[in-house]
Amino acid sequence: MSRTGKDHKQLDGFQRMLLLLVICMVMLLGYIIWSTPGNKPVLTDAVAQMQEQSGVESPVTAVLLNFRGYDTLLEVMVLLLAVIGTWSLTEAFFPEQVSEISPVQMGVVRLLAPVMCLVAAYLVWQGSHLAGGAFQGGAIFGAAGVLMLVTELPGLRTIPVPPLRLGLVLGPLLFTGIALFCLFITGDLLGYPEGAGGWLILLIETGCAVSIGLTLASLFAGGRPDNEFQGKNSPVSRTVSGDRS
Amino acid sequence: MTVFQFSSPAWMVCPVILPVIAGLLCFLFSHRTFAIALAAVLTNFIVVCLLTGQLLVLGPMRCYMGGWQPPLGITLRIDGPALLMLLMTAVTGLAITLYARGYFSYRISDSRRAGRHQRQQRYFWPLWMLLLAGLNGLFLSNDVFNVYVTLELIGISAASLAALSGKPASLLASFRYLLVSLLGSLTYLLGIVFLYRSSGVLDLDLLQNLAANGSGIRTALALMSVGLLLKTALFPLHFWLPPAHANALAPVSAILSALVVKGSFYMLFRFWFETFQSTITLPALNFMGTLGAVAVLWGGVQAIRQHRLKLMVAYSTVSQLGYLFIAFPLARVDGGIPVWSIIIFMALAHACAKSAMFMAAGTVFLHLGHDRIKDLSGVRASLPITVFAYGIAGVSLMGLPPSGGFVGKWLLLTSSLGSSQWWWALVVITGSLLASIYVFRVMSRLFVIPEGFPLKKSESHFRLLEWPALALALISLFLGLAASWPLYILVHGTTTLAQVFAGGLP
Repeated sequence: MSRTGKDHKQLDGFQRMLLLLVICMVMLLGYIIWSTPGNKPVLTDAVAQMQEQSGVESPVTAVLLNFRGYDTLLEVMVLLLAVIGTWSLTEAFFPEQVSEISPVQMGVVRLLAPVMCLVAAYLVWQGSHLAGGAFQGGAIFGAAGVLMLVTELPGLRTIPVPPLRLGLVLGPLLFTGIALFCLFITGDLLGYPEGAGGWLILLIETGCAVSIGLTLASLFAGGRPDNEFQGKNSPVSRTVSGDRS
Repeated sequence: MTVFQFSSPAWMVCPVILPVIAGLLCFLFSHRTFAIALAAVLTNFIVVCLLTGQLLVLGPMRCYMGGWQPPLGITLRIDGPALLMLLMTAVTGLAITLYARGYFSYRISDSRRAGRHQRQQRYFWPLWMLLLAGLNGLFLSNDVFNVYVTLELIGISAASLAALSGKPASLLASFRYLLVSLLGSLTYLLGIVFLYRSSGVLDLDLLQNLAANGSGIRTALALMSVGLLLKTALFPLHFWLPPAHANALAPVSAILSALVVKGSFYMLFRFWFETFQSTITLPALNFMGTLGAVAVLWGGVQAIRQHRLKLMVAYSTVSQLGYLFIAFPLARVDGGIPVWSIIIFMALAHACAKSAMFMAAGTVFLHLGHDRIKDLSGVRASLPITVFAYGIAGVSLMGLPPSGGFVGKWLLLTSSLGSSQWWWALVVITGSLLASIYVFRVMSRLFVIPEGFPLKKSESHFRLLEWPALALALISLFLGLAASWPLYILVHGTTTLAQVFAGGLP
């Protein structure tokens, strides 16, 4: 692109036409959705009716993990796929030299990270009766991981890979396992046995929250752990700087 | 236990759950991943055979996830078309799994870049298993939103697989592929928004019974179709396909070309011929047919112009996908064989032939270290089985008897002439002519052995590279001979589309 900076900001003819086309399209779609009569509340009623049988009090959790649990099962796999995809592409980037982290930042992270993990756990627990659940809890947990990555805590570089993989797979595997368990007990995939729904859902959500948090943090790290393919024959000296104090 | 009985609908979840578990385990463990994947693919094949028996005895079945009936829950459904697609995926998937094993062990045996190839293999298995789960889930799904989730599963794993080779060209192509795939998914999702607002349900059966013809439904159908067409790579939305398919690793190319594009196509087929059948108009079908016709010709001409074997095979996919759409306007023709069944049949034949061809191209690439068409001389001497497989797959693509491709094209010709729409017949014939040019252009090189050519013997670990390709090529060839069996039942057992869908295809 040999354009100057000034030209960059101006749209050429083709882009203008495209923009016009997109605006027209959006207006047309907006008109259509505005003019269609609103949806008959078939599903809302159905959810409200079956709420009691679902084992949880929050309608969102009931839909996510009971009525349409199969969707969520596959969706959790999509999240894991994102990690597998990034790991297959590149190694995580850690700067060679640990830059100076201000003691204030260190202190804040040391205070915040445990509290965030606690909040995450509470959100997962709250999911059974209020807004919350695995995705919300996992997001907070992942944010705690991102904070620690940004602060370049020395331990993060040398996280052993097998436990990390286990953590990433834990939620999806637990979810699939419980789905199959329900299949053997009740004959329906994810058809929770009478009365056990609440506990099984909480179990799934806890496992998934851990995995989702690790997934988000791994995505932030942007690649596979760099010690993964240097296993047996090349014992690389790990740069564990012992200042954990 | 009732779950394990022959008549239990719960078998239906196995084609989704088995590869999911295998994918998770392949990611978790670093050793024996091939054994895990092979076990999953074999079990999947056995279960699909069992489902075939189930369908023949008991007819179409539904399985309610979690025991929740629609509109609340998600339904899996198995009927003729779904089963044939599952069979296609199971058979092709088995062959591709074996081929991939041979491919990676051959490349790892080359010590120069063993580490990189080990990494590729390490990530190939979990990605491929989750892709397989997504495909099977798509074919079985009876819920518009669940289809979106499976499309995401397929799209992300396919793009990651395409990027696996790590070369700059493949990274660029797969990044574009990812963006196109996401755009397609989002367009589809926007369509679901319209659909849900105007109908309030997501289950395909309920949507079909609603048979509403408002502007909301029509907009939804248009948006979802555009999203799916983008993923299916129908001309002029095919621009991303050739670079993405040609620059991937050989087993990945086979997966992408044979199975992944069929996933979104299958959904399009469902929507146009089953769920929203009453909304579809003849001009719309003709429009699709026209795009298909242009794709056949454009893809054929581009395939002839290519200098690299894998790019040629990729453009051939663009061309062959066009045939599936030419059948769209003919499907409304009354009497004779229901043309829509040809669509499924041609998709099967193409899946087998195209994956065989990509495998053969990959083996040639491994053997020679390049795939420039003008320098392919003498391959016949060292890789006779691969060249044989390439030739037979080419026979099916050209549409020579007795291949599956021939039967499909023959049925297209008769129904287009029978309904006096001769222009489609003209396109079909021209397309076959183009196909024979691009297939023979390579074939003639493969067979020529220049004077004084050093005769390299085929190495022993080429066995896993050569035989799966040949097996698939032979299947595509004999699909034509066995075609009378499903088609006979179709013609004599049923007359209208709805009855066939209700009664199951094979």
